[in-house]
Amino acid sequence: MVPVRRQAVLRSSRVVARDTWWMEFDCPEIAETSVAGQFAMLGVGLDTAGTWLLPRPFSVGWTGPGGVAGFLVRTFGAGTRAFTRLAVGDEALVLGPLGQPYVLEPGRSIECVAGGVGLAPFIALAASEAAAGRQVRLIYGERNAEAVFDLDLLRELTGHEPEIYTEDGRMGTMGRVLAGLDPAGDALLLGCGPTPMLRALAEFARTNHRDLQVSVEEHMGCGIGTCQGCVVRSSDGRWVKACVEGPVFPADSLDWTTGG
Amino acid sequence: MAERVGSRTDLSQTVFGVTFHSPVLLASGTCGYGQEYADLIPLDDIGGIVTKAVSVEPRVGNPPHRVAETPGGMINAIGLENVGLEVFRNEKLPWLDRALERAQVLVNVVGRSADEYEAVVSGLDAEQGFLGYEINVSCPNVKGGTMFGTDEAVLGGLVRRLRRATERPLVIKLTPNVADVGVFAKICESEGADGLSAINTFPGMVVDIDRRVPLIGNGSGGISGPAILPMGVYATWRVRQSCELPIIGIGGIRNGADAMQYILAGACLVQVGTASFVDPNAAVDVHAGIAAYLERSEVDSLAELVGGLAFPAARK
Repeated sequence: MVPVRRQAVLRSSRVVARDTWWMEFDCPEIAETSVAGQFAMLGVGLDTAGTWLLPRPFSVGWTGPGGVAGFLVRTFGAGTRAFTRLAVGDEALVLGPLGQPYVLEPGRSIECVAGGVGLAPFIALAASEAAAGRQVRLIYGERNAEAVFDLDLLRELTGHEPEIYTEDGRMGTMGRVLAGLDPAGDALLLGCGPTPMLRALAEFARTNHRDLQVSVEEHMGCGIGTCQGCVVRSSDGRWVKACVEGPVFPADSLDWTTGG
Repeated sequence: MAERVGSRTDLSQTVFGVTFHSPVLLASGTCGYGQEYADLIPLDDIGGIVTKAVSVEPRVGNPPHRVAETPGGMINAIGLENVGLEVFRNEKLPWLDRALERAQVLVNVVGRSADEYEAVVSGLDAEQGFLGYEINVSCPNVKGGTMFGTDEAVLGGLVRRLRRATERPLVIKLTPNVADVGVFAKICESEGADGLSAINTFPGMVVDIDRRVPLIGNGSGGISGPAILPMGVYATWRVRQSCELPIIGIGGIRNGADAMQYILAGACLVQVGTASFVDPNAAVDVHAGIAAYLERSEVDSLAELVGGLAFPAARK
């Protein structure tokens, strides 16, 4: 799983929610070798006259036949906005697969808990694991209905019926994803989403003795461990790099009392 | 992106008594200790690497956020997180020694006191696997409170001490955070330095207007990237006017054209930093871009162009 740098052609790009795109690139190395939870640095390279754009980390959302990898991109600022303006046939600079994936146990059920674009890693995971016969729940929360990923496409990609939670209650169940969890359950919990959500999830897991792995988000410079920009605090007080030691960590290995 | 090594044009530079077969190096803090890039780019195709800073003791670094994009660049405040002298000497340096054949290695050194700088230099000097030192003087001096690189007497004293501690090439990485970088260049030359890296990052700050706090955990940080390219070129030119030492140009280089600005302003080598985050292959492409410039200009040797800037000399 040595990361590969490549110019990747954009195969398709579609709006799947407000300010949110599903973008599929030709990335055979990522399509063939990535494991759910790993990510790639996506950018437009150095040839963008007048525009400076650091690459951004994105979870590998899905891998398909023909060497295609899909990414879920929500615009937050100028960088992501510029990226979503790429047209089919344009090239992006892709570096991946990177980081540590989710680690599953044979046969054990999983409950994937996603907040916002934290949905991304679970698209691939739900698709492959459900197909392999594992019992999978996909619990997906958004602020409001407009932000929810195109459900027809999500069903098509994952072959799965997601359980939707929205805070405004206009789609799925009103409330937050935690409401969908059984304290007495024994499935492995997998989380990905904003830090406040992950913190609440970690507290739920700790209180109820549930196993939980989370994928964290932090600003990244390089994605390969050289800039040391993307640290999070471990439970034993060290700064650990989200890009190479993560982004997936056992929740109890992180310090949830500080930061974001 | 054709590989130009071996083509008709000669990009090699003889500096510090050795030959750099390419003038392009990877900048400190953007290439780790080399190993992180070994699978991604052919390190021996570029001139060399400058390691992540090494301090006497390991440093844990600053709280997040440590990096963020800024207009035309990025801000960072890593806090000089590094493995420390012992691990560098026992694990990182042997790897560099084994893995690199042609690429030169400069070890970037930091300290909170002159004693600490000297301890790193003395602790490495007998080892194999590197050419010399690049001294990062953009560090707070615990005794005086100012940075080593912004106080003429402190900088002079540090260079004098390190000069006594090693016969290896001693390159001082100048901070632009002074009124006239030429004055500091001259001091380094007088105290026996072998070369100068111009320049380190500019101090900067980004405010998170929603939380009304600095975006960066440390409060402030260093600005790098294309935003500082013209300032780095200017600093290189000022240094060229002030002393005779070889200059390594650094700041915002993305391509061969950017590198040529530094070379014409007086740099004989260049470093690629932040651009490697955008594209790990940036340094290799910069090398190719310089080669293409030479061919286009029908110049056989890069050395002919160093400091070749025709500046209106009368306007002093």
